Amino acid sequence: MNWEAIALSLKLALCVAGILLAVGLPIAYWVTFSRWRWKFLVEAIVALPLVLPPTVLGYYILVGLGPRHFAGRIWQSWFGHTLPFTFGGLLVASVLYSLPFAVQPISAGFEGVDRRLIEASWTLGASRLETFFRVILPLSAAGAVTGIVLSFAHTIGEFGVVLMVGGNIPGVTRTVSIDIYDQVQAANYDAANRTALVLLLFSFLVLTVIYGTNRRAMSLWRRH
Amino acid sequence: MSLEVAIEKNVPGFRLAVEFAADGAPLGLLGPSGSGKTMALRAIAGLEAPDRGRIVLHGRVLFDSEQGINVPPRGRRIGLLFQNYALFPNLSVGENIGFGLRRLPEAERNRRVADQLAAAHLDGLAERYPETLSGGEQQRVALARALAIEPAALLLDEPFSALDTHLRSALERQLRETLENFGGSTLFVSHNLEEAYRVCEKLVVLANGSVAAQGPKEEIFRHPPTLEVARVTGCKNFSRARRLSDGRVEALDWGCTLRVAQQFAKPPEHVAIRANHVRVHPPAKLNSGNSVNVFPCWLAAMSETPFRVTLDLRIGSPAASPADFHVQAEVFKQEWESFRDLPQPWVIELAADRLFLLQD
Repeated sequence: MNWEAIALSLKLALCVAGILLAVGLPIAYWVTFSRWRWKFLVEAIVALPLVLPPTVLGYYILVGLGPRHFAGRIWQSWFGHTLPFTFGGLLVASVLYSLPFAVQPISAGFEGVDRRLIEASWTLGASRLETFFRVILPLSAAGAVTGIVLSFAHTIGEFGVVLMVGGNIPGVTRTVSIDIYDQVQAANYDAANRTALVLLLFSFLVLTVIYGTNRRAMSLWRRH
Repeated sequence: MSLEVAIEKNVPGFRLAVEFAADGAPLGLLGPSGSGKTMALRAIAGLEAPDRGRIVLHGRVLFDSEQGINVPPRGRRIGLLFQNYALFPNLSVGENIGFGLRRLPEAERNRRVADQLAAAHLDGLAERYPETLSGGEQQRVALARALAIEPAALLLDEPFSALDTHLRSALERQLRETLENFGGSTLFVSHNLEEAYRVCEKLVVLANGSVAAQGPKEEIFRHPPTLEVARVTGCKNFSRARRLSDGRVEALDWGCTLRVAQQFAKPPEHVAIRANHVRVHPPAKLNSGNSVNVFPCWLAAMSETPFRVTLDLRIGSPAASPADFHVQAEVFKQEWESFRDLPQPWVIELAADRLFLLQD
């Protein structure tokens, strides 16, 4: 079994989950509570990775972050190298790819918080930030946990985006799913079998935990 | 000690335009649902921004559309008791009450929470969670939480509507005590006129988003100025009216001529009487000569409560159907038993000093 690939996948998924916790909460807050009339445009953009083929998403990220493009050149001038075919590039791509899996359950959790509790908090002198941490987040923790666990699991299993953006560099961008693909290509079915089984059990475990702890947030998420 | 409110707000299909003031005594905001009571309350608490107007609490401007002032809810120091109490389910009773006291040193905060628990008769419940409390206890926790921040004004949105009837009177007594000791202004929103009458000194009657009447409660109940106010204050019997001479009107819908005690400057458009002021007598009364506003009447329908009966009566001729009646009378069972078995027509008396003359 390729422990290097498994370790890389875990590292990637943990980083993605951490970044999405930091980024997903404010985005979900905004999506839930903003009254901006064009809000649906942002919602649609956040949800895009749900419907877009991973190769399409990967292609745009590859081109966008490459040396010929504006964003890619800025990155290059700051860090001295381009993003595609590095762990950093993989991370950026994975965060974008898993964004809806974090934002939608978190947002559904926020939505489920009784508005009057939020208003009560305000009338008792709490600021919006205090209200968020003392009322909204504790009452929607299940949604936040679901969002983070889902984006973690989703990252472990991604394939198309990784292949487009990261390529297949051992220890740098060769994740578990790519490794399985390689093994099958090399007709190395025993190794592929073992790794696939590990992934299968892992995915089952994650979903069991989510469904078991938190049916409501899941049902909201599954509508998409 | 005063709360002055003069605000306007338009939302699709509804326009709120109210002006009233509360001093130290509780002010009741009375009106049917959809009359704008809750919207007014939310505007005062800062949860909704009016389109125009001014809100001033104890000399401090909370909202002024011309000066562009709109203090956010957290800066208003207004205690709001929500209709469903809005207790934080993830916090214990003690933490709920202490929620607004975060910035105080811990010792001071604990002391204030303990004071509120004692004042609300909630000792021993500090560690409990809201879902384990009865409705009455929840209401007291919500009130204690609102009072803990020592607000300059207290807004109560239908505080008894979520409670069983048998809990109400005890809690209402406790609320009245609490309000007597409260130094700020109180607004009490209700659609229950008896409740508002007991708790408040002055009333503002809202109808369709505007103030239909305001003043001392006795005044409003004795002389409601308009049809709407009479209806909101529980009056059930109305007839269009035409002035005949000073002291006499024709009740067009009831088909009779009435002597009235009330002076009128403008010709009245309606005449009305409360159901509990209508008297019903045995038939013999009709021939006794010197009675005023006494007419033969027939029973159209009736409904009973344990101590009283409501009679739907038609004046002048027998009723064709249960819905064919002019006036509702509420009489005690005992009285009712004195004439229930006697032949109709009975006699209805609409006492001159009980009749209201109303404008539209």
